Amino acid sequence: MASITYDRITKRYPDGTQAVSELDLSIRDGEFLVLVGPSGCGKTTALRMAAGLEEISDGRLLIGDRVVNEVHPSQRDIAMVFQNYALYPHMSVRENIAFPLLCANVAKSEVKERVDRAAESLGLTELLHRKPKALSGGQRQRVAMGRAIVRQPQAFLMDEPLSNLDAKLRGQMRAEIRSLQREYRTTTLYVTHDQVEAMTMGDRIAILRKGVLQQLGTPDELYETPANLFVAEFIGAPPMNVLSATVTRTPAGSTLVLGSQRLALPAGALDAYPALAGADATPVALGLRPEALRDVTTADPSWPRLVADVDLVENLPPEKLVHLRVDADPVVTEATLEIAADIDQAAAEELRTLGRGSVLHARLPGTTAVREGGRAEFAIPPSALHFFDLSTGQAIAPQSPRLAAATA
Amino acid sequence: MFRYTKATALREGIVWVVALLTLMPFYFLIATALKPDEELLTTGTSAPPSRPTLENFTEVLSSGGDNNILLALLHSVVITVGSIAGLVAFGSLAAYVLARTTHRWGSVTFYLFLVAILLPTQLGLVPLYIGARQIGLVGSMWGMIILYVGTLMPLAVFLYAGFFRNLPRDYEEAAALDGASPARVFFRVVLPLMAPATGTVAILTGLIVWNDFFSALIFLGGSDNQTLPVSMYYYVGSLVSAWNKIFAIVIISMVPILAFYLFAQKKFIQGFAGGIK
Amino acid sequence: MTATMGTPQDTGALVRGSVPAAGGGQPARSRRSRPLITYGRWWWALPAVAMVLLIHYAATAGGALYAFTDWTGIGDFEFIGLDNFRRILDDPDSIGSLQNTLFLAFGFLVLTNVGGLLLALALNRTLKTRYLLRVLFFMPVVLSPLAVSYVWKFIFDFNGPLNDVLGWVGAEPRTWLADPALALWAVLVVMAWQTTGMVMVIYLAGLATVPPEIEEAAALDGASTWRRFRYITVPSVRPSIAIASTLMLIQGLRVFDQVMALTGGGPAGATETLATQVYKETFALSNFGYGAALALVLTMIMLVFSVLQQAATRDRS
Ligand SMILES: Nc1ncnc2c1ncn2[C@@H]1O[C@H](COP(=O)(O)OP(=O)(O)OP(=O)(O)O)[C@@H](O)[C@H]1O
Ligand SMILES: [Mg+2]
Repeated sequence: MASITYDRITKRYPDGTQAVSELDLSIRDGEFLVLVGPSGCGKTTALRMAAGLEEISDGRLLIGDRVVNEVHPSQRDIAMVFQNYALYPHMSVRENIAFPLLCANVAKSEVKERVDRAAESLGLTELLHRKPKALSGGQRQRVAMGRAIVRQPQAFLMDEPLSNLDAKLRGQMRAEIRSLQREYRTTTLYVTHDQVEAMTMGDRIAILRKGVLQQLGTPDELYETPANLFVAEFIGAPPMNVLSATVTRTPAGSTLVLGSQRLALPAGALDAYPALAGADATPVALGLRPEALRDVTTADPSWPRLVADVDLVENLPPEKLVHLRVDADPVVTEATLEIAADIDQAAAEELRTLGRGSVLHARLPGTTAVREGGRAEFAIPPSALHFFDLSTGQAIAPQSPRLAAATA
Repeated sequence: MFRYTKATALREGIVWVVALLTLMPFYFLIATALKPDEELLTTGTSAPPSRPTLENFTEVLSSGGDNNILLALLHSVVITVGSIAGLVAFGSLAAYVLARTTHRWGSVTFYLFLVAILLPTQLGLVPLYIGARQIGLVGSMWGMIILYVGTLMPLAVFLYAGFFRNLPRDYEEAAALDGASPARVFFRVVLPLMAPATGTVAILTGLIVWNDFFSALIFLGGSDNQTLPVSMYYYVGSLVSAWNKIFAIVIISMVPILAFYLFAQKKFIQGFAGGIK
Repeated sequence: MTATMGTPQDTGALVRGSVPAAGGGQPARSRRSRPLITYGRWWWALPAVAMVLLIHYAATAGGALYAFTDWTGIGDFEFIGLDNFRRILDDPDSIGSLQNTLFLAFGFLVLTNVGGLLLALALNRTLKTRYLLRVLFFMPVVLSPLAVSYVWKFIFDFNGPLNDVLGWVGAEPRTWLADPALALWAVLVVMAWQTTGMVMVIYLAGLATVPPEIEEAAALDGASTWRRFRYITVPSVRPSIAIASTLMLIQGLRVFDQVMALTGGGPAGATETLATQVYKETFALSNFGYGAALALVLTMIMLVFSVLQQAATRDRS
C-alpha cells in the first residue's frame, strides 16, 4: 500500500487539448479519494496517467516515494477497474480473477487459494466457471473488483465503475466497494461525475473543472466551505441557491440588499468578513443552501427574514421541497451553465433566458405551513450565508474567529 | 410493411428458375460422372445415367504415379494449411504492431502492405521462379508455402489491421495493468479475441491457395508435389474426352471445398462481403 | 437583467486541505518521445515485412529488369533496351492477346456487376427462401476455376448438352470452343458464371446498410419504386459498385485458368490472353526476357486501371 502523488502534472494531448493542468494532488496511504467533475473535465485522463496508460506531459507522478513517470503499467503494481469492466470475454470468471496472479508467476496452488478467497468475499464462488457474457451487470462489476483485489496491489484506480448499473444496484455496490476498501485498506482513486457518489464514498474529494483542481477536502468541508461558486453549485442536491446581492454598511450594522428587499443582519454577523466590512456597499453573489431557508415559527427572532413567492411545493416525505421566486437577479456564470448543461441541456437554455427574478429551492420539514401560490416568510441563520466574489467567483471566506478578533 | 403478396411469390418462382438454370452445370457434372463408359456414347449427354455407377471414381482414385489424385489432395491440404498458418501467425503479429503503434514508421510500413495488394504477382513470378530454382525450392511444398504466405501477406495484414483498429484497447490496457508483458498480452488476450478476423483471413486466403493454378503450375508442375489443380490439369489432359472420368476427378476436387463451404457458408459469405473493404 | 460574470478564476487557493510537497524520488526526467504503454514489439512485424519486400517488391523490380533483357533462362543475357516492347507491338499475337484480355476484363466487369446487382436486389428482402438462394448462387465462387472450366468445356462440346438443347428447338449445333468468333464469348460466360455470386454478396452488403424502416418510410410517403431505387438503393450500393468493379477488373485482366482449361488459347490464338502468353513465353518457351516484358505490360495495365478506379471513386465520395 502506498500513497499516490500528482506533482504539478499537466497533460497535453497530441492534438493540443490540455486535459489536465498543473494538478497537485495526493492520495494518502489507505485513503479513498474521489475525483469528481463534469463530463470532459479530465478525470479519466488524470486517472490514466496514474495507471501509466497515458503519457505525462509535465510534472511528476509518485507512488509511495518513487517517481513512476517512466514505469510501465505492468510494473506499477496498481489495479484498475474500468468503466466497462474489460473482463476478458474468452476466460471464465476464475481465469479472469487469476490472470494478474499468473502474470506475477504465483504458484498454482496459491493462485487457486487466493482466487477462492477473493471470490468468497465477493460472493462469486458459485459463478467461478461462468464466462463474463453469462453474468449480470452487478456480477461483472464484482468480478472486476475481484481481479483488482486478488493481487493486493499498491492502489486501486476506478473509472466510473458504477455508471453502467441501474440506480438500485449502484447504491448497493457503492456500499460494497467502500466496505471492501476498508477491509483491505488499499489506497483508492475513484473517478465519477456523480456528486452523490463522491459525497457518500469519499474520505476526501477532489473537484476538477476543465483540467484544473478547484478544491480538495472532506465531503463536509466541500459542503460547508466551498472554495468557489463552481464547487458550491456542483456539490449538494438540490444545488446551492445563488443570487446577486449587495452588502451595505449601516450605522446599526449590516444590511443585505436582495432585489427590493433589505435583510438586516444581526450585529457582528459579518465580523468574520473583513472584505465585506471595508466598503459602504459591496456587490456579492450570495449563496444559500436549500436548508438555510427556515420556517419562521421555529427560528431565532434575530435572524433576517426573506419574503418570497411560493411557486411549487414538492412533497418528499419527511420533507417538502419548495420552489420560490424572489426579485433579485440570478447569477449566471459559465460554471452554472456548465453544470446545468451536464445535467440537462434544456435546463441550461432556460437558465440563460430566465428574465426576471431568481428561483430558489428550500428544503423544509414536512410539517411546514407553506402553501403553493402564496407568499411566505423565511428566516435565514446568518451562519448559513455564503459570499462569493461576483467577478472571480471565489468564495469570500470567513476568517477564523481568532483571526477576526485579532484584526478587529 | 413489405408483405408477401402474389407478386412476391411470382418473383420467388422466377428466381428459383434462374437458380436452377444456373446450377445446371452441376447436374451435368454429376450425371456424367455416374455414367459407365459405354453409356457415354449411347445416351444423350443431357440425359441422366440409366445405370449409375461409381466405377469412374474408383478407377480415378486408384491410378497412381503422376495421376495420384489422393496424393495431390494431400499436397493441397498440407500447402493450404501451412500457408494459412503462416499468414495467421505473421500477418496478425505485423498487423497488430502496425495498427497499434503511434510511430511514424508504422504508417509507412502499412502503406508498404497496401500498395502490395495492388501490385499484381505476374511480373514477380519470373524472378521468384529463378530464385527458387537456385535454392532448390521449385517443386517443394515449403517453397510453395513461403510463396503463398508472401504473396497473400498484404491481404492478411490488411484484414487483420482493419479488425485491430476497431478492437477497443481496454482489454490490452487491463492486461498490462494486471502485470502482463506485451507477449503475454498478445498471446493470452489479443489472440483469442481476434478469432473472427482469423476466420475471415483463413477463408479468403485459404480459398485462393486451394484453388490457385497459375503459380502452382509454374512452381510444382511436373514435380512430385503437385497440388490438386495441377494434377487435375495434367490428368484431364491425358483423358481426352473421357468425360465420365474427368468429371469424377472434378467432383473429387470439389467435394472438400464444397463441404467446407456448406458447413461454414455464413462465414464464407460474410468474409467476402465484409472482408473486402 | 442578469448579472453575468467571468469565469471563476481557477486559482490554486484551496480552502482546506493542501498538497504536501512531494518529497523524495529523483527529479523528473525531461520529455520522452516514446509512449509508455506499448502494444507488441516492433520486430514482430519483421517476418511479414521481409516477405513482402522480397516477394512483392524485390521480385517485381527484378521482373521489370528482365523485361529489358534477352535472357532465355540459361547463360548470360544482355540489356536490349526497349526491343522486347517493340517486338510486342510488332507481334500480332501479342496485340491479339492484349485485345482479348481487355475484352474479357471489361465484359467480365459488366456481366458480373449487372448480374450481381440484379441477384442482390432480388434476394435482399421479402423472399422466403432468400438465404438458401444466396448460398446456392454463391456456391460457384468457392470452386476452383479450373474445375469449373472443365464442366463448361463439356457443356460447350460439339456433342454436349448446349447443342442438345439447341437441337430441341431446331437450331444448328455449333463448335463453340473451336469457333474463333465464339470461343472468347464462351470463356467470358464461364468467368461470369463463376463470379456473379461474389458480386451479389458485395451488393447485398451495400443494400444491408439501408435500415428497413427507411425504405418503409419512403414507401409510406408514396415514393414510387423508381424513386426509391434512385434515392435509397443506388446511394447505398455506390461503395459496392466501386469495390466490385475494381475487383472484377483486376480479376478479369489476370484471367488464366479458364483459358488454359477451355481452349488452351486456341483456336489459333483467338482466346490467348496476356497471362497465358506470359506463361507460354516464359515457362514453355524459356523466353524469360520477352515473357517479363509481357508481364510488365500486364502489370502496368492493372496498375493504371487500379489507380484510375481509385481516383474515380474518391471523386464521388
Ligand atoms: N486521446 C485524446 N486526444 C485528444 N483529446 C482527448 C483525448 N482523450 C480525451 N481528450 C480530451 O481531454 C479532455 C478530458 O477528457 P477525459 O476523458 O479525461 O474527461 P472525463 O473527465 O473523463 O470525462 P467523462 O466524465 O465524460 O468521462 C476532453 O476535452 C477530451 O475531449
Ligand atoms: Mg471519463
